[in-house]
Amino acid sequence: MENLEHFLAQVWFVILALFLFLYVMLDGFDLGVGILSLTSSNDDRRDILMTSLGNIWDANETWLVLMGGALFGAFPLAYGTILNALYIPIFGMIFGLIFRAVSFEFREHSTNKVFWNVAFGVGSFMAALFQGFALGSILEGIKVDESGHFIGSMWDWLDWRSLLVALTLIQGYVLIGSTYLILKTEGELQTSHYRTAKLAAWTTLIGAILITIATPVVYENARAKLFHQPEVYLFSLIPVLGVLLIGLLIQSLNRKAETTPLVWTVLLFLLTFVGLGLVVFPYIIPPGITIYQAAAAPSALVFMIIFIGFLIPIMLFYNIYNYIVFRGKVAGTHYGE
Amino acid sequence: MDFLSDTVALSRMQFALTAIFHMLWPVLTTGMGIYLVIVEGMWLKTRNPDYYHHARFWAKLYVLNFGIGVASGLPMEFQFGTNWAPFSEAVGDFFGSILGFEASMAFMLEAGFLGIMLFGWERVNPVIHYFATIMVAFGANLSTFWILAANSWLQTPAGGEMVNGKFVVDDYFQAILNPFMLNSVSHMFLATLETSLFVIGGISAWYILNNRHQAFFARSLKIVLATAIAVTPLQIYIGHLSAEQVADYQPTKLAAMEAKWETSPAGQPAPWSVVALPNNQTEQNDWEISIPNGLGYILEFKKNLSKPVLGLKEWKPEDRPRMVGLIYYAFRIMSGIGFFLAGLMSISVIQWLRGKLSPEAIAEQKWLLRIWILAAPLGYIAVESGWIVRCVGRQPWVVYGQIRTADGVSHLPASEVLTSLVIFAVIYTALFICALFFGSRIIRQGPNLELPVPGIDTQPALETTPAEFVPDQRPIEAEQ
Repeated sequence: MENLEHFLAQVWFVILALFLFLYVMLDGFDLGVGILSLTSSNDDRRDILMTSLGNIWDANETWLVLMGGALFGAFPLAYGTILNALYIPIFGMIFGLIFRAVSFEFREHSTNKVFWNVAFGVGSFMAALFQGFALGSILEGIKVDESGHFIGSMWDWLDWRSLLVALTLIQGYVLIGSTYLILKTEGELQTSHYRTAKLAAWTTLIGAILITIATPVVYENARAKLFHQPEVYLFSLIPVLGVLLIGLLIQSLNRKAETTPLVWTVLLFLLTFVGLGLVVFPYIIPPGITIYQAAAAPSALVFMIIFIGFLIPIMLFYNIYNYIVFRGKVAGTHYGE
Repeated sequence: MDFLSDTVALSRMQFALTAIFHMLWPVLTTGMGIYLVIVEGMWLKTRNPDYYHHARFWAKLYVLNFGIGVASGLPMEFQFGTNWAPFSEAVGDFFGSILGFEASMAFMLEAGFLGIMLFGWERVNPVIHYFATIMVAFGANLSTFWILAANSWLQTPAGGEMVNGKFVVDDYFQAILNPFMLNSVSHMFLATLETSLFVIGGISAWYILNNRHQAFFARSLKIVLATAIAVTPLQIYIGHLSAEQVADYQPTKLAAMEAKWETSPAGQPAPWSVVALPNNQTEQNDWEISIPNGLGYILEFKKNLSKPVLGLKEWKPEDRPRMVGLIYYAFRIMSGIGFFLAGLMSISVIQWLRGKLSPEAIAEQKWLLRIWILAAPLGYIAVESGWIVRCVGRQPWVVYGQIRTADGVSHLPASEVLTSLVIFAVIYTALFICALFFGSRIIRQGPNLELPVPGIDTQPALETTPAEFVPDQRPIEAEQ
């Protein structure tokens, strides 16, 4: 029985990681495009940028809602504690996402397009920044008592390390946003995103190196785990692969490839996720509460697998179909008209 | 102003504020989704371009509401964790799973197919497009099912028991099929449909009154009317069943709905109050107008009550809802609107049968069209009132009879909750104003009957590459 309970908790940890990865990858390029739109030289360009997301942003954002619901059901204790501890970054992210979402709809009908374009960019930036803070402070650890309830203060999430993660995540979003736009646009617009992609590749690399160095230096519990034989070889492999991928990415940008930059970036995100997952596992509220302590009853986990598990491939299928239908370069807007 | 330092009150206010605003948007998209399925089906069947233009025109309002609905809905789910952590921990096994189902089964379906429904007219063939429209509507209504199943469970918890402050579920299907579930889901399903029908009907009436596209909008008004014939009476009936269930399962709520302080014993008639001024301090109504013997007829269609109807004084003040006046009037507003809309439907059907709604004659029905325009916002008011009765009437419990609202709240500094509450109030008010502003702009612009019709003017571009696709560059209908 013990083994089954552990296994179920691990399955849900993996499913949640999958949802989070899908969210960060898919909404990552949405948010990245939003942040990039702030740097666009004119409104025609911003229009194309926003049009490239028109049919997919809501489905991409849904992965966040799905992850929230799954975390709530599978690890209720973690859901309450983490969101309670991250009250400010969570609502900051939500306010940002609200601005972003309504900008899409209102811009369509507004005569003042500039205002909504800016709201779209600022909202995207806010959402990305606070997501980074949330991620950074979870990795850093949340103060809890022995039953797993939050006992810290409301500004615990804010320090130089979570800021470093937040800035790096923004770079990552800009990188994936740029490579997505390389795929979806043509001409001068595409050329400018080769530049932003290259810049973001370097800044992401710098941020990732700093985080990789800081993690074992600052966190004792991570240090013991990371330098434990024989896992140390696995953990040292991840940064090596990461540098390799960034090298391949920059090379593909230099070759003016259209599809491969996005592929390398997605693989980079995936690798980062595997790395973070290995560092965090088996904790769901680092550094104190494991997935086994926070998990819902085994019956709840089974019940959710029955319903959500078989839906995962279906959801992936129609999301992929959506991308197939709208493949190719962004045409002009003909939304609702 | 002591509530400003009371985290429980502030968290409740934040939930109420976000829920009341959020509800305004999905209520329309859920019902309108079904309407879009109807008109697109008519288009495919009859090949009459009017139906195609209806599908395109209403979809514009649909997507505006959908976008704001998504945006305003994000805080709903996350609030359970941020502001109600002890509640989340106690009931997450069931309640969290259900929210997960809603996201994966319902919301994802709607969001995933929305892009194809809106932008896919020239990209996929008509059958796939129709399938996408059906999935959008199905997803939206599946959301109603899961959310109402979860909320019904808070009203009538079933399928397990509280053990050491945590709800342990032993039968998930029994928990989903809790006593309130079926009626609540039906009531909400019909409410979204009815609200949307009268919004569409009201907008159509406005065009006809203003002599714009009369034949075109006479068509949508008739589709609305034909659907409302079934929906409005059925809603009153389901509402009655719901009230009977409240009497059985939530006597405190029923007493507050009726502002009843004293118990009426079985075997005797009891008055039914129409207007009253409930007073929590003196535990009585300062004044009231009531119909003698009315309560028996309303609950059981006969004069004498077969079982006692308990009054509020049966419970200690801390065990019963406090906002009696709010619950009492919200209930009356909701049911009053329900009867009013059914009456409007009946009169309109009579006029239709008399041939007064033909495209040539419909503009003569000025008074009827004006009432339709006035009826457009009523559905929203009824829905909001119903949710107030449902959730304020459940107090002081968050899970009826099991967990008190005050015990379910996160321990947060009041200043933190107050800050987020104020920001929400500002943002949501702005969203509401923008929604009205842009919604009315879409309506003023009117339908674009110049759109190329797929299959007649254009071929679906499934086999062509998007680069060959030339978007329609014709100007939209001029402002009038």
